[in-house]
Amino acid sequence: MPDVAAEAAAAAHEAAEAEAAAAAHARKVSPRGDFIQSIGWIALGIATTIVSWRMDRLEKQDINPYTAPGLLPGFLGVAIVLFGALMLYRSWRRDALGPQPVRLATEAARAETRRMWTVLALCIAFAAGLVGRGIPFWAAAAIFVTVTVSLLQFAERGARNERQRGILVALVIGISAGILITLVFQEFFLVRLP
Amino acid sequence: MFEGLQMLGHSYLSFLNFWSIVYGLGGALLGILVGCMPGLSATLCIALLTTLTIKMEPNDAILILICAYVGTLYGGSRSAILLNIPGTAANAASCADGYALARKGQAGRAIGIATSGAFTGTLFGVLCLAMFTPALAEIALSFGAFEFFWLALFGVAMSGSIVGEDPIKGWLMGCLGLLVAQIGQEGLYAYDRFTFGWDELSGGIALIPALIGAFGFAEVLTSLADPIERKIIEMRDSVLPRFREVFQYWRTVLRSGVIGVVTGILPGIGEDSGAWMSYAAAKAVSKERDQFGKGSIDGLMAAETGDMSAIPGGIIPALALGIPGSAPAAVLMAAMIIHGIQPGPMLMIKTPQFVYDVVAMTTMATISILIFGLFLVRPLLLVLRVKRSVLMPIIFVLCTVGAFAIASRLFDVYSMLVVGIGAFFLRRRGYEMAPFVLGLVLGELLDKSLRRGLVLSDGSLAPFFTRPICAALALVTVLTMLMYIPAVNVRLRAAWGGLKRLVFRRKE
Repeated sequence: MPDVAAEAAAAAHEAAEAEAAAAAHARKVSPRGDFIQSIGWIALGIATTIVSWRMDRLEKQDINPYTAPGLLPGFLGVAIVLFGALMLYRSWRRDALGPQPVRLATEAARAETRRMWTVLALCIAFAAGLVGRGIPFWAAAAIFVTVTVSLLQFAERGARNERQRGILVALVIGISAGILITLVFQEFFLVRLP
Repeated sequence: MFEGLQMLGHSYLSFLNFWSIVYGLGGALLGILVGCMPGLSATLCIALLTTLTIKMEPNDAILILICAYVGTLYGGSRSAILLNIPGTAANAASCADGYALARKGQAGRAIGIATSGAFTGTLFGVLCLAMFTPALAEIALSFGAFEFFWLALFGVAMSGSIVGEDPIKGWLMGCLGLLVAQIGQEGLYAYDRFTFGWDELSGGIALIPALIGAFGFAEVLTSLADPIERKIIEMRDSVLPRFREVFQYWRTVLRSGVIGVVTGILPGIGEDSGAWMSYAAAKAVSKERDQFGKGSIDGLMAAETGDMSAIPGGIIPALALGIPGSAPAAVLMAAMIIHGIQPGPMLMIKTPQFVYDVVAMTTMATISILIFGLFLVRPLLLVLRVKRSVLMPIIFVLCTVGAFAIASRLFDVYSMLVVGIGAFFLRRRGYEMAPFVLGLVLGELLDKSLRRGLVLSDGSLAPFFTRPICAALALVTVLTMLMYIPAVNVRLRAAWGGLKRLVFRRKE
């Protein structure tokens, strides 16, 4: 019986992996996605070309006109517009404007999106909100690691009824990481920390 | 020639001391640990170690970085074999056969083959590094602005064409990297470009924080968004290196070594292409072709030899031309500049000893991975059991330290954040980072070469196409890009087929 359960778990695991891989592949090759992105690239290319064209030609400094600062950026802007247009054409040929396959958002996909935004928010809060704001670096790092590990393992710990233990373990990991990183970089290798 | 051998001997002797051996082994060990962990790349490892070693002597710092570079790519084979996830992108070609061998109960044998292939591949690459760097630097002394313009453009175009599955997205990332490199004060007149009145941007976007963002922060987000953890296959057999297989598959080893070095030399192509091209070449001529993907020793040996020989291959153009052969080589080059060493054609004139020092360092790295392939294989694998939910937040803290420590600016931390977020969302949509990195590194060279060339030619574009080396590079660049457009590819192949039929019909 345990073998049957283990096999079923392995099969479910492989199915989840295959589903995630399929979703990732669809995101990468979607013609509609390429179509929208190509419009973004063309806009970036046009903006770059305009800004480069309007850059000071430094005539007052009597420079050689072939060394104008906007020369290469202008070429790059045009190149980005060209490649963007190529991608637009390709996605139109692949029926980007036609009916697209409907992909229902599964619970796994929603969980992945929630994790992604949670981690993004935590990282930005640490790097832009805690670091360099007067808190010692080891403390900022300890808070970040503790909160992140606790949140990421919340569901798993909850399922095993180990929430308090989970928070304690996260706290130990956080404080150890903060102190160790500070010691190694600042004290041993004399690297200045924020 | 004898002067070169003398300098080489001096370099080897200078590294035979206690601290150099400790630094070398320590760097390799750290690299193996990082390489074992899926998602952490050699680029990130070298970038973080650059900040850690910033206060050390140049030779000690570069020794640690090179040993870590070699160690990371070697360590990546372990997770490829035991988890079916490549530790670094360069180990992806080892996954199929390595993991298949592991599932047959031969995980130790697979790791032993990876060790022997990696050792032999890197050693072959070191030999090429010693022979070709001085020769290439000699040729590069005759290069002018026109040649460097095409070299830079060729590197970005080639990287965009070959890396990843979509060349158009690759070229767009290359252009984006070149564009980001233009931000800040330009090199000729100190004019602020794309700063929009923001003083912080006058210094531009620093390379190492941008790389940490693209390869570190983006990877943290990718790893944590995907919650799937894989089960490690247990090793029951011996992990000792298998040199008998190296002799048995000597043709594969030699072929993969050459392919790896050539792909390493080509700017922006990198170790993963070296591995895949070696794998494909081995499969095309192998007698056990049907075994490829199912546990072929030939396949695994080709992949590991190809990816490891690309490491010294990537260092060759970095030293001789100042143009990195791969993303990790780009970081290595940045580290050299930080420590006051200017890579490029003048390196062999001003500090030729350094080139031979790099040869000695890479040899030391090769020996280190053999030592760690003999000892500590099983203990080092414990790192694979650390959960991503614990590891990744710590990696992000290190990313923040790494971004800050280069110039002690919080702005670099914010650059790392912005580049990392952009890289994460772009990667999810199929855009590769290697062309972006190469664009970032070569942007300044391309800009200065274009403007200097136009001044020299008084506005004429003719020298860019008529000088022999320029003409060759321009042709290869344009052809490479055209070949990756399917409509053009089909017509070119049809024309080539028609030409061959015409020639053979005439001969008959």
